[in-house]
Amino acid sequence: MNKISWGKKMRYGLVLTAAPLLLAACGDGGTANEGGGDSPATDGDTNNESGEEVSLEFWSFWGSGPRRDAIEAIVEDFNESHDTITVEYVYQPWGDIWTKALAAIAGGNAPDVIVQDINSVRQRAEGQEATNLQSFIDEDDISGDFYPQLWDTVVYEDEAYAIPFNTDTQVIFYNVDALEEAGLDPETALATWDDIEETARTLDEGSEGNWETIGFYPRWNIGADVWALNADGGVSWFDEEGNVAINTPEKVEALEWLLEWQDYYGTDTINQYEAEFGQGVADPFISGLVAMRGQNINYYTNLKENAPEDFNFGIAPLPEFEEGNGNWSWGGGFVLEIPENTAHPEESYEFIKYLTSPEVQERFGLNSFDIMANMEANENLMTHEELDEEGQMVYEMAHQNLESTVITPVPLNAPDYISLVNTQIDAAFLRQKTAQEALDDAQESVENLVEQYQ
Amino acid sequence: MDNTQQSQWRKAMSEFKTLKKRRWSKRQKKEALWGLLFVSPFIIGFLGFMFLPMLFSFVGSFTNYNVTNRMDFIGLNNFRRMFTQDELFTTSLYNTAYYVLFNVPLTTAGGVFLAVLLNRQIRGIRVFRTIFYLPSILSGVAVYVLWMQLLSPSSGLVNTILSWVGISGPAWLFDPQWTKPALILMRMWSVGGAMLLYLATLQNVPRQLYESAEVDGAGSFKKFLNITLPMITPIIFYDVVTSTIGAFQIFQEAYVMTEGGTGGPANSLLFYNLHMWNQAFVARNMGYAMAMSMILFIIVLVLTFINLKLAPRWVHY
Repeated sequence: MNKISWGKKMRYGLVLTAAPLLLAACGDGGTANEGGGDSPATDGDTNNESGEEVSLEFWSFWGSGPRRDAIEAIVEDFNESHDTITVEYVYQPWGDIWTKALAAIAGGNAPDVIVQDINSVRQRAEGQEATNLQSFIDEDDISGDFYPQLWDTVVYEDEAYAIPFNTDTQVIFYNVDALEEAGLDPETALATWDDIEETARTLDEGSEGNWETIGFYPRWNIGADVWALNADGGVSWFDEEGNVAINTPEKVEALEWLLEWQDYYGTDTINQYEAEFGQGVADPFISGLVAMRGQNINYYTNLKENAPEDFNFGIAPLPEFEEGNGNWSWGGGFVLEIPENTAHPEESYEFIKYLTSPEVQERFGLNSFDIMANMEANENLMTHEELDEEGQMVYEMAHQNLESTVITPVPLNAPDYISLVNTQIDAAFLRQKTAQEALDDAQESVENLVEQYQ
Repeated sequence: MDNTQQSQWRKAMSEFKTLKKRRWSKRQKKEALWGLLFVSPFIIGFLGFMFLPMLFSFVGSFTNYNVTNRMDFIGLNNFRRMFTQDELFTTSLYNTAYYVLFNVPLTTAGGVFLAVLLNRQIRGIRVFRTIFYLPSILSGVAVYVLWMQLLSPSSGLVNTILSWVGISGPAWLFDPQWTKPALILMRMWSVGGAMLLYLATLQNVPRQLYESAEVDGAGSFKKFLNITLPMITPIIFYDVVTSTIGAFQIFQEAYVMTEGGTGGPANSLLFYNLHMWNQAFVARNMGYAMAMSMILFIIVLVLTFINLKLAPRWVHY
């Protein structure tokens, strides 16, 4: 008797364990069908002239905060002003969106419009992941509306595959009160590398293990790669012809300069504070511990959120390597793309054009403090009445800084080169190699990688 | 032990053979069918989500597949590049081996240790068991972010506690010499899963063994060494095999804790799977990544085989 009831129990147990599995399997199927169901329904009406309704799926990673509010409002307005096109905004988490997009494109059920990384447009153009937009551009050339270096990133073999949406640029934030107390004028105190070094020494208070104020440490939130391109007249690790340009004399000098800073403050101090940047009110720049710091200009949103009302900060471009060398900086950004083989490229492009038009760009910037790709939008924001003085200053500074901001798209002949360079740079900062040795080795490694891709 | 095991094995084999020869009655057939039906979710899942992708990976490893528009047969080029040109392949393999070498013994020993402690009959033991098990049900990004704060060099809890006893803690995730130890330390936090297995096994160790040992005058350490440990070796073996396989697949921690999977300072957290992921999704060298996955498969297969071969020497069934 006992045995039988045990057997029964087992069977019930199995059914109970199997049921959720089966249900889960069905559930998956269900959602997959829902997703796929869109395409056949919309497949039929590629021709929108007839006035048939088209629905578009739009993916981005703006999941919360002002960006999400802004984009949802913008999409809603678009839907209201367009009778035949309905856009559905779909949020995909930052960590997943592009791998998901790749899988969706390979699987033939891609969304209609995706927000993509500005640095890898050519990679996707080469891999036929993105729709060629050149025919639309030929009809109505909007390329001049955007900052030229941003437009460059979307062009592959002379044809455009994406439209730039927003960008960012790296600048120096400084504590106005600290500089004033020391009797320094920001205009001259941060002009060149020598100037900023001298200013930092003036502002430094305390010593190893007991700092009250740290004037400036260049590698806090600005990479060695950015200082290297700043020194080398805006040339990144690859020059304009696509040659590896890592161990140039200017870049070696830049790395040596950074090593001197590391020796000056000591790695213990540097590591200690590095972990605390970006942690809200504990941020050492907000707390006054650090007087000047490099950062993306969008750091302004952090300050707005976490800094006290009377916190007085200014923004300056990255200092020049030497006078007349140029305030070269670096930026990134995002673009809008239509995946290859989607059903409604024309309607999708209309939506993209809407999102990148000056008015809509201005609206997005106003709410998110993002630096927009459309020049006119940024220019309008510089004097926008809804922004306070600080907000206007951010856009003015950004607009000015973008003149000497370099974007570094992934080179097609060595897409994964960056870890090789970083290994060598890290070796230099660990004092395992001199700056010259490290960059020589990096040059060799990356040249070797380029060969592997040939 | 060797002999008894072999004889058991032989017995099982001969039973299996007679089973094969035996003609099945209607009822048995029906039962077998039901059995298959019940395991079918696994079989279908395995074929669809494991076996076919593995087969595809195998084929893809000989191509320059980029997921969308390229899949040309390039022979052994991926493997040649891996072993002769790709500098990061050796780095990632070293990092992973280092991690496995420390993580597996430490989590196993930690699991046994905790289980033995929690096997005591004292008041409130259930509460303690729950407390020690809890961390292992938390997982994912939230835990890693939490640990990044705990390990923060100046304000993190770990270094704060160390400073109370006069130790100035390392910079953990910022110092390439300490990144892997930090990660290994962090993984100890989820030792609860293994602990639960050991706890269940410990409760099955016959009491009379301890009693007779006590009569012979054995102390607690001797009892542990000569009774407890041998009796739970099958589970230790199971734990070692599965956690070795799991440790080779470390990815998420490094991906989250090194801004977007860059590999951390001096590539010290560039684990095998992270390098593979970067190749597949950043550099779009899916074919190369597939070749890497094949090599990892072989490494794990060989290690598991060695584990199985060594098992009869120390596992007591």
